[in-house]
Amino acid sequence: MNRLEIDWTRCDGHGLCATLLPDDVALDEWGFPVLRGREISAGAAPDVRRAILACPALALRFADR
Amino acid sequence: MTTLQDTRVRVIGEPRLLAGFDLGRLDRQRHHWTHGTQPDLTRETYTRLAESVGLRGRGGAAFPVALKLADLPARGIAAVVVNGAESEPVSRKDRLLLTVAPHLVLDGAVGLARALGAPHVLIAVHDAVAATSVREAIVERDDGVAIEVSDTPGRFVAGEARAVLSALEGGPAVPPGRRVLPTRKGYHRRPTFLSNVETFAQLAVLARLGSKGFSSTGLISEPGTQLLTIAGAVRQPGVIETPTGVPLDTVLQFAGAEPGPVLLGGYHGRWPARTDGLTLQRPDASAGIILALGSDTCPLGEVHRVAGWLASQSAGQCGPCVFGLAALVDDFGRLVRGEPAGWHDAQRHLGLVPGRGACAHPDGSARFLASALEVFGEDVRLHLGGGGGCGRPVRGVLPVPGGEW
Repeated sequence: MNRLEIDWTRCDGHGLCATLLPDDVALDEWGFPVLRGREISAGAAPDVRRAILACPALALRFADR
Repeated sequence: MTTLQDTRVRVIGEPRLLAGFDLGRLDRQRHHWTHGTQPDLTRETYTRLAESVGLRGRGGAAFPVALKLADLPARGIAAVVVNGAESEPVSRKDRLLLTVAPHLVLDGAVGLARALGAPHVLIAVHDAVAATSVREAIVERDDGVAIEVSDTPGRFVAGEARAVLSALEGGPAVPPGRRVLPTRKGYHRRPTFLSNVETFAQLAVLARLGSKGFSSTGLISEPGTQLLTIAGAVRQPGVIETPTGVPLDTVLQFAGAEPGPVLLGGYHGRWPARTDGLTLQRPDASAGIILALGSDTCPLGEVHRVAGWLASQSAGQCGPCVFGLAALVDDFGRLVRGEPAGWHDAQRHLGLVPGRGACAHPDGSARFLASALEVFGEDVRLHLGGGGGCGRPVRGVLPVPGGEW
């Protein structure tokens, strides 16, 4: 678990992830997340985990591979 | 030439999948006379055969069958699924096979199900005539495997492998949000072998001929035959069985295509920059759809119409697909009308759509549109040059289905 992934069927473009994780997520012109695709370091993992729990649509997750 | 279900059927070389088709549908008896009986092979033999002839799935993704077999676990395989949704609007090969040679497809699916120890064979079909033919064929057989036929909706995205599985489970015919392989979690989240109709017919032929017999025609790298559907600005549209690796120009000439640009691989496909020197094989040939545009229609206007249809075919689940494809339809409309901002916005939006959906619909649609902008660069200049476009009307050469199809 080292990269972010979006369940596009769930994401409604609330945009909270981009606010909480500005280094990992940007928003496109329609308000949907654009992942920067970088590895999540062990140090950043707690913040990322909090952001995942904060997503109102439960659309943000770690890519399980 | 034979006409079946309004589809002209012809062959370049020796017919294999379509052997005996000139007398119409092959019932059980005629199927046996034509093809002989299906040998009982083991899973290892199927894997070895598929590997030695480099057999690839015929649904468009062209995934190697041997790799798909190797990815299945040793036991607990829930089902073999035959994807006959054929949701590309121009394609006719799969419904033709199910209509004319249902037993060949069933032999392939049942033979593999037995080899894998899978208790179910599930067949997803959209076309009503094809579904009836398969149901009649099932009554004629006694396989000791449960075979079921299900009708799928006609939406483009409903033909995607995981959308088909969802529909077979009684759910909505849309792809789920997690990209998992059917070989790992397929029918009811259990390991499943799913492939296209033609793939199973090829497996049935391969089981009978063995790798040496199968390789007596076609390319060394991918021997055998393939089914192509050709349409658009051609005198004789329809389905053609050819050896793999046949030159595109040969097929165009055979079907009486007008000179002009050609779309390969359907509405998720590409416009090759030139047709001479191109040979038809996977992955480029994809599901075998060839669309000739001719030279008296406005290419960008045609692509704009298809873009509108592609946007309408989104399952509506994923934001970037819904908003991105709608934006691209608007961009192409402005480009056709001669507004440079349309071209610039299209370039930006084409970068925002791929890879951002539950299935490959946004990716495929963007690939089709980006390829059009590249190949029709001269038309783009004509439209943006202030001279009122390319001077040709939009004739609707690229078929766009309305409502149900």
